[in-house]
Amino acid sequence: MIAYFAKRFVWLLITVWVVFTVTWILANNSPGNPFTSEKSFPPEIEANLRRRYNLDKPPLVRYTLDLGNLVRGDMGVSTKQVDFTVNELISLCWPVSAALGLAALAWAAVVGLVAGVVSASRRGTLADLSLMSLATVGIALPNFVIAGFAILLFSFLIPLLPPAGWGSPRYLLLPAFCLGAPYAAYIARIARTGMLDVLSQDYIRTARAKGLSRLAVIMKHALPTAVIPVVSFLGPAVAGIITGSLVIEKVFAIPGIGYSFVQSAIDNDTPMAMGIVVLYTILLFTMNTLVDAAYTWLDPRVSWEDVS
Amino acid sequence: MKLRNNLPAIVLVTLLLGGVAWSLTASRLPPADFTFNNHTEIKTVDPALVSGQPEGRVINGLFEGLVRLTPQERLPVTGGPEEWPGTAERWEISEDQKTYTFHIREDARWSNGDPVTAEDYRYSMRRFLSPITAAEYAKQGWYLKNGKKYNSAGAYLEPGDRVEVELNLKPGEHETRIGQLVKGVLVRKDPPEMPEDEEERDKITQRFYIDVDGEERCYVIGDASRGDEIPNDAEPCRMVTLDFDEVGIRVVDDRTLVTELENPTPFWLQLLGFYPLFPVHRGCLEEHGAPDWTRPENIVTNGPYRIGFRRPRDRVRLVKNESYWNKDNVRLETIDALCVEKSTTSLNMYMLGDVDWIEEPPPNLIREFMNADPPRDDFNPAPQLGTYYYKFNVERGPLADKRVRQALALALDREEIIRTAVRGPQKPGYSLVPPGVVGYTSPEIPHSDPQRARELLAEAGYPGGQGFESLEILYNTHEAHKAVAELVRKQWQRELGITVTLRNEAWPAYQDRLRMSQFDVGRQAWIADYNDANTFLDMYVSDNENNQTNWANDEYDRLISAAEAESDEQKRAELLYQAEEILLDEVPLVPIYYYFSRNMVKPHVRGFYNNLQDFHPLHAMWIDDEPGVVNEYMQGAER
Repeated sequence: MIAYFAKRFVWLLITVWVVFTVTWILANNSPGNPFTSEKSFPPEIEANLRRRYNLDKPPLVRYTLDLGNLVRGDMGVSTKQVDFTVNELISLCWPVSAALGLAALAWAAVVGLVAGVVSASRRGTLADLSLMSLATVGIALPNFVIAGFAILLFSFLIPLLPPAGWGSPRYLLLPAFCLGAPYAAYIARIARTGMLDVLSQDYIRTARAKGLSRLAVIMKHALPTAVIPVVSFLGPAVAGIITGSLVIEKVFAIPGIGYSFVQSAIDNDTPMAMGIVVLYTILLFTMNTLVDAAYTWLDPRVSWEDVS
Repeated sequence: MKLRNNLPAIVLVTLLLGGVAWSLTASRLPPADFTFNNHTEIKTVDPALVSGQPEGRVINGLFEGLVRLTPQERLPVTGGPEEWPGTAERWEISEDQKTYTFHIREDARWSNGDPVTAEDYRYSMRRFLSPITAAEYAKQGWYLKNGKKYNSAGAYLEPGDRVEVELNLKPGEHETRIGQLVKGVLVRKDPPEMPEDEEERDKITQRFYIDVDGEERCYVIGDASRGDEIPNDAEPCRMVTLDFDEVGIRVVDDRTLVTELENPTPFWLQLLGFYPLFPVHRGCLEEHGAPDWTRPENIVTNGPYRIGFRRPRDRVRLVKNESYWNKDNVRLETIDALCVEKSTTSLNMYMLGDVDWIEEPPPNLIREFMNADPPRDDFNPAPQLGTYYYKFNVERGPLADKRVRQALALALDREEIIRTAVRGPQKPGYSLVPPGVVGYTSPEIPHSDPQRARELLAEAGYPGGQGFESLEILYNTHEAHKAVAELVRKQWQRELGITVTLRNEAWPAYQDRLRMSQFDVGRQAWIADYNDANTFLDMYVSDNENNQTNWANDEYDRLISAAEAESDEQKRAELLYQAEEILLDEVPLVPIYYYFSRNMVKPHVRGFYNNLQDFHPLHAMWIDDEPGVVNEYMQGAER
């Protein structure tokens, strides 16, 4: 197990370096610079700005400086929010996105799993049909549409919840609901497919044959195997959802990091964009590693050698 | 399943729930007295580095310049404390209008109790103009004698100039410190001129030979620890500039400061009341370094407020500064500046009472709000000093012909553009300088006349648009710009029979195209920083970086520089008028509409005034819940 994690860690370092280098080349060759604005600067002031941002140095020198800073864990200062270092911005904004993402995923996983299992065990009934229709709607509707309806309903028609902002659990409910809805729908469909697959296997028939109740068979024998596709889906989904959603964060004015994912690239805020790319790389890599590790726990047929 | 088997899952779920709870409770604040949507995350609270209004609103509350501007007309305050003047209690202006002597009030204090002195303003101006600071708005300080020369590092230094060399900082020293200064006289530069092209310039290390106390020494700007190569025969340094003592800002004593200007500049007092020239506390900057000095627990301010709390992408909470000299006239104890970018979200929060002032409602609702019956008591659009226009690249094909440009201008129907594309309170624009500038009335470009437009186009050799190469309108990707561009295309095609295409680019690419003159017709807007015609007209002198049209006119350049040197206001206005006449006859640009502000302000907000710069200082506002009172914002509105 330790050998497995050590090996994955070395791969993580290599992956981060490759991703950093590719992003660096792209970021430094895109049009514009961090200080373009509606009003152009006189050449004298532009020269000062280029010197300040090291843009007057040869690319290789700049790359070496940036890579050195990355190794030291210093991502520099954001060029659009100069009162914060990139590390500070990430440490202040990311927990917000992560909290929202986890809350969304928690309800999505619980509701999705239950719906999936119920549909599968009552295949072909009205319950199955209505749950799966709901899931299809959940996938098809973009979450800003759900958000619009949710705000109209729960903030304006029934004034229960604040329409936007952050600061107490009340602020979490609407965005978590909207963010989680499509995930719940996906999980329901994956869980249903997984469950149907397992229910037709021999060992389930054996379990039924020895007189176990339907519930016991599903919960004890079928579920652990049936959730494996759900876990595979959840790994990258966690990495995606806890790094924030641009749309949900904008609609609900949430001070998360999802906004910076898109905006830092548009703004030519290279330090921030690089910081986020590195963060996302590490998260995605970690989640995939954990998912692989989870297989050995969920499925007795899988060993550590298999996942390495 | 046994407990042991489930342990990882239980630990994980507990950690997750704990994390969610922590992130939520770590940030609870009681509501502020007054909350407004500042529209976007501010770049910084450092006055020297800002360039936008959202930053300006916050900085105007945190710091205070020598002069403050009135909340009504945004002109310098000369009255008593109840009218919120700045740190200077009075000033004298010399006969030639180039020398201003400011007297700083005795009770002016920083939030840590230090007195505000003339040296604070000199230090802050040095920092603002230093090429190391790289202030984007540094041009505001170029009006000072030698301001431009100092700000431009070595570019304009000549042999014989008194110069100062700032040596590199010691390792670990905060970047906000000033390195050791070596003063001397410039002997020569090698090479004497740097190439204009950036890439060529980057390849050359310029040497400065300086006579320091009779000894000639050679300096190059660079730092080996930051990857620069330092030649063996030269000493590295952080910067070479003109000696700051040569710049027109002088401390007479603790409470007396003199500024000497290059030219008589009627708007100098307005500039001093504009946030980039506000002072910062040297001790605070040097002790904490950047960006740590801006932390709520570190920052030292001299304005009505200090920072109580700040979270990126959420809010800046301003708390009344109890050391402020005029605190008795500041009524709001706490203010929250939110940064909600989405206009529907902003409106939702406003409608449910979470915020008291938003910059504008979503564009598609403006019409409805303007025509509301009964009229709204919180919406009163007002003219603003800004112009939206299209500019022509006069080196592109048929656009080189003045008659073609005139024809394009005459073929525009601005009323239709506002009615169907802009759909707001904006008014058709017929000049570059919008109405409302103090002591100046613009000439007008001829109004819409499609018949005359067709004649001019025919005279230029394109009857009915025959033989006319297609034109491309360049704009940055945005719904509103697209709507205008599509209608302009339709009007030109309809009236002149020419082919017009559209090109939208993301912001940086659009800027690059304008800068490199890779466009036929380009969208542009200009909003005045101060109330003067010069801020608009100065853009079209031949060497201004905002011109970008390749249009150059000697007479125009002459008139603008004559106006800059003119101390008689009447004559100055005449010179500017003549210049604008040339501009509107030559048509390197065609005005489309004048800006209107579209604030929504709750009826209980008092001390909020509509003005031409759409700038609303927070220190003048207060909350009054008494019903039936018409607040300052709604006064004069049609009801």
